[in-house]
Amino acid sequence: MFSRFPVISILAYAVVISITAMAFYGLIGFDQARLMPELLQDQYIQQILRFSLLQAAASAVLSVMLALPIARALHFMPELPARKAFLRFCLLCFVMPTLVLITGLVALLGRSGLMTGFMPNDWNLYGLNGILIAHLYLNMPLAVRVISQQLAHIPDTSWRLAQQLKLSRTQQFLKVEWPALKSSLLMLLGFVFVLCFNSFAVVLALGGGPGATTLEVAIFQALKYDFNLSEALTLSWLQFTIAGLIFALIAKLGKLNWLSADTHKQRWQPEFGQYSQRVHQGLYLLAWLLLALPIVALIPTLFKAQLKHLDFTLLFLACVRTIVIASTCALFATLLAWWLLIPIRQAQLRKNESGRIILQWLATHSLVAPAMVMSAGLYILLLPRVDLERWGWFWLILINTVLLLPFVIAQLKPRLLQYDQQYWRLSANLKLSGLGQLHTIWPFIRPAMLGSFVLALLLAMGDVAVFSIFGDNSWSTLPWLIYGYAGSYRMAEAALASLLLLALCTLLIVLFERKRLYEQ
Amino acid sequence: MSNSLSLSNIAAATAQGLVISQLEVYLEQYRLFYDLNIVEGECLAIQGRSGVGKTTLLQTIAGFERAKSGAIYWQGQNILQLAPHERPVSMLFQEHNLFEHLSVIKNLSLGFADVLPKEQLIKAAERLGVYGQLNKMPAELSGGQRQRIGLIRTLLRPEPIILLDEPFAELDSDTRQIAAEWTREVAQQQGKTLLVVTHQDEDVERLADRCLVLGD
Repeated sequence: MFSRFPVISILAYAVVISITAMAFYGLIGFDQARLMPELLQDQYIQQILRFSLLQAAASAVLSVMLALPIARALHFMPELPARKAFLRFCLLCFVMPTLVLITGLVALLGRSGLMTGFMPNDWNLYGLNGILIAHLYLNMPLAVRVISQQLAHIPDTSWRLAQQLKLSRTQQFLKVEWPALKSSLLMLLGFVFVLCFNSFAVVLALGGGPGATTLEVAIFQALKYDFNLSEALTLSWLQFTIAGLIFALIAKLGKLNWLSADTHKQRWQPEFGQYSQRVHQGLYLLAWLLLALPIVALIPTLFKAQLKHLDFTLLFLACVRTIVIASTCALFATLLAWWLLIPIRQAQLRKNESGRIILQWLATHSLVAPAMVMSAGLYILLLPRVDLERWGWFWLILINTVLLLPFVIAQLKPRLLQYDQQYWRLSANLKLSGLGQLHTIWPFIRPAMLGSFVLALLLAMGDVAVFSIFGDNSWSTLPWLIYGYAGSYRMAEAALASLLLLALCTLLIVLFERKRLYEQ
Repeated sequence: MSNSLSLSNIAAATAQGLVISQLEVYLEQYRLFYDLNIVEGECLAIQGRSGVGKTTLLQTIAGFERAKSGAIYWQGQNILQLAPHERPVSMLFQEHNLFEHLSVIKNLSLGFADVLPKEQLIKAAERLGVYGQLNKMPAELSGGQRQRIGLIRTLLRPEPIILLDEPFAELDSDTRQIAAEWTREVAQQQGKTLLVVTHQDEDVERLADRCLVLGD
């Protein structure tokens, strides 16, 4: 059964690897671009590298540290008002199109922002402040969801045993919660670090000068302004190597922990003390406020919109295109992830740890490959060979699909590995046919599949980076329209389009959560 | 794995029934060694203190643990190199015998390649007192009910070798007796070769033709 990888999986790996290889080949092949190791001695580059690492580390640590008490509050205080809505809101924040967030942050904390008066005199949104706030906004909610999910996996029996042994609340944290959370927290730190290390739109919009620039932005500047491909190539490799090493570490740490059998439903768990309850309630309220403010700040800007001049047909068509393109990418990403995961599952079953790490790295390496380089490299390679005006949409979908893979795989993998851990022996012993296997695995995996698809859909709906290279103004998507409005200082229209995009994302999340609850 | 043509190897390969020949299995650093014959249609009870390797023996026969050396012959054919799904084995695990996300009736219908012995399954469910549970989900069943559902499917599947790992552990004494008698009847009627791991002497008396105490 597991002696060979299926052909479809080999093809899937070939597609994913070829995209990156083609992108780098595109850069190398053009104008004799070469690696410039001497650049690493350059003080400007060293400064950028230092800042990239610093902001990523600070963003990761702060996101996870702040998420921990909020996730615990959500878990141990199920009576908190609007608890489910908050978890949905967290998902919305994580997938929020960066342009929407930036428009909201500027309206809130920019030079003439609603809250700027309450900030210190020397307050400046642009620079490390703004970058950290935006990264926290995008990643802390992800950490809240992951941690609360992990807490929910602690078997009921562990809590009962801890209570029966009369462990104090601190001992319960150390003996029950911490072992369940430890590996997830490490993985989260690494994951958020990589996301922030590769951050592009946030740093481009809120960064300023060499003191607040990341490698990804420096690559963009080398490509766009200096057209220095050798520099772009060298910086790309540097970013690829650092992020790749960290990512390999995550893959190694990403073990299947505390995934108990489904029979262990949580029906009993300890409660906080009175004082602790108040602190956690306060934190929960604060989290609601901080996450809602940038969206609320968009509303006053709306009133300045001149609705008479607004092209509603353009807005409607942009919505339709966004949904169609994003759905196609999400569908392909989910299918591709399924095929890529087959060999990873086989390696896990064979206890081939190094094989699993290598395969996982290959399947999800697009998380560390600079998105700008992927798009620009492919563009340079394809331009003389393909009619990109005609086939741009194809490459847009393909590249977005590959960029979505790490997120889809991260969603699907634990559930599939749990299935294998729990049922592989039974399934093999029952000698189920291919169709029989599908019949047994599908009901188990369906919620995770749906979740992965929706996550991919929401992420794809926010794409600007790939569209900026392969897209076309004649078939603008909603984020591209926002970018166009903001670029021509039509902030009210940008805010309106942003809220529309947010409303679409919210609708999808609500529909998805309803379906999930219905299936439970 | 040794391929030498020793007399004992030839004898094992030509013997009928289940022959476990010079089987060496390592769990971490711990070496387990098995060498035994089970006649076709025989019921062998396996006992021994915890950790002695009873479950490992069943898992190795079923193909879920790898042997370092030795052979497992069934009707003269070495099945050690076969994948789990290629072996003529039906096994009841200590736990995880039911897919939690499928109904009990769906779980009961799995593992029958050609024809589903519907009548036999229903009769067995009635006899073992779980007929009323068939339309429920596994999470709604008690440990003993789950065990009986798993037992029915394991026994009735069209495989000649049946491996039962503590099949009655969660049953009360009356149900235990009914289940053991039913197991014995089905195994005899259908000529199954049975290996049963149990800690209870009464199971041995009711069910087994012979008892093997591992570790002695």
